[in-house]
Amino acid sequence: MNTSLFEKPGGWKISWRDMGTVAGLIIMVVVFSSMSDVFLTQRNIINILQQSSINACIAVGMTLVIISGGIDLSVGPVAALAAVISASLLMAGLPVPLVLLSALAVGLACGFVNGALIAYGGLQPFIVTLGTLSLFRALALIYTGGNPVLGLPNEFRRLFASEILGLPVPVIVAGVLAIIATIVLKKTPLGEYILAVGGNEEAARVSGVPIALTKVATYMISGGLASLAAIILMARLGAAEPILGNLWELEAIAAAAIGGASLMGGKGSIFGTILGAIVLGAMRNGLTLLNVQAFYQLLATGIIIILAMLVDRLARGKG
Amino acid sequence: MSIGTSHSAIALNAISKGFPGVQALENVSFAVEPGQVRALLGENGAGKSTLLKILSGIYRADAGEILINGKAVDLRNPKSAQLAGIALIHQELQQVPELDVAQNMFLGHAVTKFGVITNRKAMQKKARELLSQLDHTIDVQAKIKTLRVAQRQIVEIAKALLGQARIIAMDEPTSSLTPIEFEKLVSVIDRLKADGVAVIYVSHKLDEVFRVASHATVLRDGKLVANVDLSEVTEDTIVNMMVGRSLDIPPHQSHVQDEIVLSVDGLCRELQVRDVSLQLRKGEVLGIAGLVGSGRTELVKLLAGVDRPTAGNITLHGKAVHFSNPREAIAAGIALLPEDRKKEGIIPLRPVAINAALPSYRKFIRLGFIRSAQLSRQVNELAQSVNLRPHDIDRAIRLFSGGNQQKAILCRWLMAGSDILVFDEPTRGIDVGAKGEIYKLIDSLAAAGRSIIVVSSELPEILRLADTVIVMRSGAMAGKLKRSELTEEAVMSLAITGKSAADTTMEGRT
Repeated sequence: MNTSLFEKPGGWKISWRDMGTVAGLIIMVVVFSSMSDVFLTQRNIINILQQSSINACIAVGMTLVIISGGIDLSVGPVAALAAVISASLLMAGLPVPLVLLSALAVGLACGFVNGALIAYGGLQPFIVTLGTLSLFRALALIYTGGNPVLGLPNEFRRLFASEILGLPVPVIVAGVLAIIATIVLKKTPLGEYILAVGGNEEAARVSGVPIALTKVATYMISGGLASLAAIILMARLGAAEPILGNLWELEAIAAAAIGGASLMGGKGSIFGTILGAIVLGAMRNGLTLLNVQAFYQLLATGIIIILAMLVDRLARGKG
Repeated sequence: MSIGTSHSAIALNAISKGFPGVQALENVSFAVEPGQVRALLGENGAGKSTLLKILSGIYRADAGEILINGKAVDLRNPKSAQLAGIALIHQELQQVPELDVAQNMFLGHAVTKFGVITNRKAMQKKARELLSQLDHTIDVQAKIKTLRVAQRQIVEIAKALLGQARIIAMDEPTSSLTPIEFEKLVSVIDRLKADGVAVIYVSHKLDEVFRVASHATVLRDGKLVANVDLSEVTEDTIVNMMVGRSLDIPPHQSHVQDEIVLSVDGLCRELQVRDVSLQLRKGEVLGIAGLVGSGRTELVKLLAGVDRPTAGNITLHGKAVHFSNPREAIAAGIALLPEDRKKEGIIPLRPVAINAALPSYRKFIRLGFIRSAQLSRQVNELAQSVNLRPHDIDRAIRLFSGGNQQKAILCRWLMAGSDILVFDEPTRGIDVGAKGEIYKLIDSLAAAGRSIIVVSSELPEILRLADTVIVMRSGAMAGKLKRSELTEEAVMSLAITGKSAADTTMEGRT
């Protein structure tokens, strides 16, 4: 039956599930472009991609975590903590490359804490990251006394404000990330270990898969990508707020779920997740163009997620 | 031809069911009389599960009719099957482990006071009444998770009776029962027969089928081969009907060499494994027999690094080893093919190639990337050597039969170069045809100089495969039998009483 759902080892074939997400996106584009002349212009498409790029970064990490059978609720606060720490270092005159590294280090460290508690402490991912969601947020607030770090230098902001081949840097970053993550998932042992741990942890253990290392690595990737998303947002706003990244985890989970990741673990697609992020971004953009109130946008997001899951369920049959 | 009479508890008439690409059942007919036990036989994939699912209302037949007491019924969902008086005792029991016996029996049908408050007393009383007829040792207030599988099965049967079931289908009820528990089940089935309940009994174990059932329906590739009276046929006839050819399982051959590869001294883990010592030679097949719960699986899990021993030494090729996880055991060349393949063996959604390569990625990495072409080529060669069917290593492993999943897991360890292979129940859930293949593979591995440990509950299997057998009893070694001393009686006597018939074979104890 659905053999193309189970790609060849290292194969690049696009799965039926991904094609389904593409089809959903196309339907949405057709509907919005018939209702708005602006929607399908080059300027607006780039807009959509740019607006989706932060969620895409977060969602790529989230997808890996979800495939491994876990969940990372702490991505927003990790981003906030990385933002305020690196912003204050930037204001203190640290050179930009070091600032970027420091943000990444904060993200990786937060991810390590999550991963270590889950892998070595044997705690449940949902609870651990629910705990660190509060904990990292609190650290960000305590560190700044609750105030934003304002007036980030233009030298830093320009880094992400420029365009390459007509595409804004954040879009390029998200695209490159997606490619790297796909390669990791399909072409490296880490990717296979993530799929194995999420698919059947006990069997993976008996087969000699390094379970703990795989989990720690996965949460570190998620933390690292959260800090990258923080950098993109800081550059866009010119400020770092300790409350940034509120509800990012839900957006990312939604993108991953629309893209076909199973919260039971063992299954998911980076390409699908990127499409999921674009679906969410395009919908918000389209509804804004149509002057639909924010309340209804929220409503539409909910409907899209549930619709995607229902289609998923129907497509797979009673199995 | 019309099947059954108006007195038949249930009659199936020309039932067919197809799925995209497969005709799972074609024109299958049989009837079961009240108080009769009819075995449903066939290899995996013969259509038994589909038939059970039709009887329990999970699937609907495409064609044919089902008569209950001579009246046609439409089993359109599980509820209507239940109302028709049909109950299915699943192979993997569907119970809520945290709830007690009575709660599980009344699940979904709770007795209430004033329509809202559950009446626990009344439920427990009723549950006790029903259970006392079947097995009076079961406490209705005990949580399901504290019961043994055999007891849980009886609870499930009692639940069926509670629902007024007149037709009870049992799917592989003895797959994890000890011989004593099997006897208990036989007496429960006798009780059902006396009450006029019709029983449909699905099992791979033909000796049991001949004990329990009077008639049998044999299926092959979804088609009815025959409805037979078991008093008129032999086991061999039935096997021929099931596989459509006669089986040739070659006799045992010994390949034992002198070199000792693994020696274990005084191995302990809490109360599960107590002071076990053994030696394994190159090319040897060491059988580990004993009742379920005698510590066999626990012992081999210590050898494979899945659990850690609390005392004792393991010496591998003359060097002391201490495994703190399976990775270390694998690196040292010891591999486990677990009893519960679904839970501990396979990554269901991933292809065979990936499942096989899991421990061996290191061999296929260049600059951090997996060299998938080389990997595929090697898995392909191995799949060929174990005769994987279908020969498609890119197919998700969950789509393969139990026997072929076992072969895929064997590929995993051949690829990893493991020279000690530990098979825990190598043919559990595998049909007769594939069984012979697995035996031949184990023989050829021994002939090639690998050392094998086989844990098995099936005595014929141990007798067929092993050069030496150790028998476990409540965590300790009850005795060791050489090939020349090996009989079913010798093994059972050690497993049950801890004493050998002749009392001369008590070596290996410290």
